[in-house]
Amino acid sequence: MAAGNTYTPIATTTLSSATSSYVFTSIPTTYTDLVLVATLVPGATNFDFQVGNGSIDTNTNYSSSRLYGNGTSAGSDRQLNNATGVLGNVTNPTTVPIHVITQFNNYSNTTTHKPAISRYNVSDNYTFSISGLWRSTSAINRIQIYSTSGQNIPSGCTFTLYGIQAA
Amino acid sequence: MANIKRANTSGVTKSGVAIADVPDAPTIGSATAVDATSATVTYTAATTGGTGTTFTATSTPGSLTGTGSSPITVGGLSGLTSYTFTVRASNSTGNSPFSSASNSITTPSPISFDSIATVAVGSGGSSTVTFSSIPSTYKHLQLRYIARATWQYGDSLVVRFNGDTTNGNYPYTHYLTGNGSAAGSASDNSSPQPQIGYLMPGNGTYSTSGMFSTGVIDILDYKSTNKNKVMKNFMGSDNNYTGSAGLPSGTVSTVWLNTAAVSTITITAANSNLAQYSHFALYGIKG
Repeated sequence: MAAGNTYTPIATTTLSSATSSYVFTSIPTTYTDLVLVATLVPGATNFDFQVGNGSIDTNTNYSSSRLYGNGTSAGSDRQLNNATGVLGNVTNPTTVPIHVITQFNNYSNTTTHKPAISRYNVSDNYTFSISGLWRSTSAINRIQIYSTSGQNIPSGCTFTLYGIQAA
Repeated sequence: MANIKRANTSGVTKSGVAIADVPDAPTIGSATAVDATSATVTYTAATTGGTGTTFTATSTPGSLTGTGSSPITVGGLSGLTSYTFTVRASNSTGNSPFSSASNSITTPSPISFDSIATVAVGSGGSSTVTFSSIPSTYKHLQLRYIARATWQYGDSLVVRFNGDTTNGNYPYTHYLTGNGSAAGSASDNSSPQPQIGYLMPGNGTYSTSGMFSTGVIDILDYKSTNKNKVMKNFMGSDNNYTGSAGLPSGTVSTVWLNTAAVSTITITAANSNLAQYSHFALYGIKG
């Protein structure tokens, strides 16, 4: 049994100015799972992520299935063979930020493709859960966040990456 | 030093009985947070004045104390709180003045997420993964996994508590899922198997090489003995499926109609085995 807390912060940032992308680099492979916690403020609409080992994979190796509901109805959609994974969508940019928690379980193994699951709420609009996939057996050691809606990531967005280490 | 000493400068009372000088104040060293409820404080005893026989560290705020030689451990602190400490010496004659205050420390959060055990399924797969002798020292449990089945059609993930396979003891399982095309909700109120998730198919007709389902299962208040046990899974099984809809993703919850504390968790696939490289990690959450 591992002693003490095994859920530890790896890195965190709050953007002081708008930027085209933010990258967590040199993520240690010593953890079992990664948890990315993001606060996305209005100013851009579509936030996506890409991952990689050594370099970011920009090929069409990502897919995502979404489950969502808005208080009236529920739905599901998906993106196949995409060049990015869905992080979150501020579908109705107002003053309301969204908070996204994404789990990358067993991210450092070199045998399986890498699944990811995330949840977020657009408080004035929808609740989402997303099942994602990066089709690569490489360990993840970097995660890039950016907007695919042609906008910069707004100032004030916060990204924190945690590592969880199993016994 | 501004010590007030009960003995005269020679340490001898007027009646001729030797009385030790009161110690001078120790020199403070440093304070270090050990965990959410304790810290250590170092000091150096004064080389002047009487000899200190007991050294006491006192916290501010709280006036919590610890005694001993350097480093002194002070317990009973609160998590996420800032503290400084002073140390003073004492002997049979009296107490020294307090040292100057230490550096400020902030105790960490009392919430702890501890690893209990991990199982990685080896070559050939496994019919069962079991976590036994689960400590009762936590508040909640969390089971994190990636997994797939050996069956070519995929399978369901089954999680049982304390080896209970009694039909009807897991009567309420509810799903809220989306498969990439439509959302839906379903229930399973009759299966003896608490099917708490889905498993990607293994090799065969519907093989998806290297693709695994994933999930985070929360088992709350697992050691209580006065309530039935609920578990809920936040799960995903995206496989870039280009044909008809793939495996659903979403959330599942179920209940074990038993008030016993959970001490064993048994994981199986409903109709096949857990495939190689499936990986389960059990954590305990304090707080």
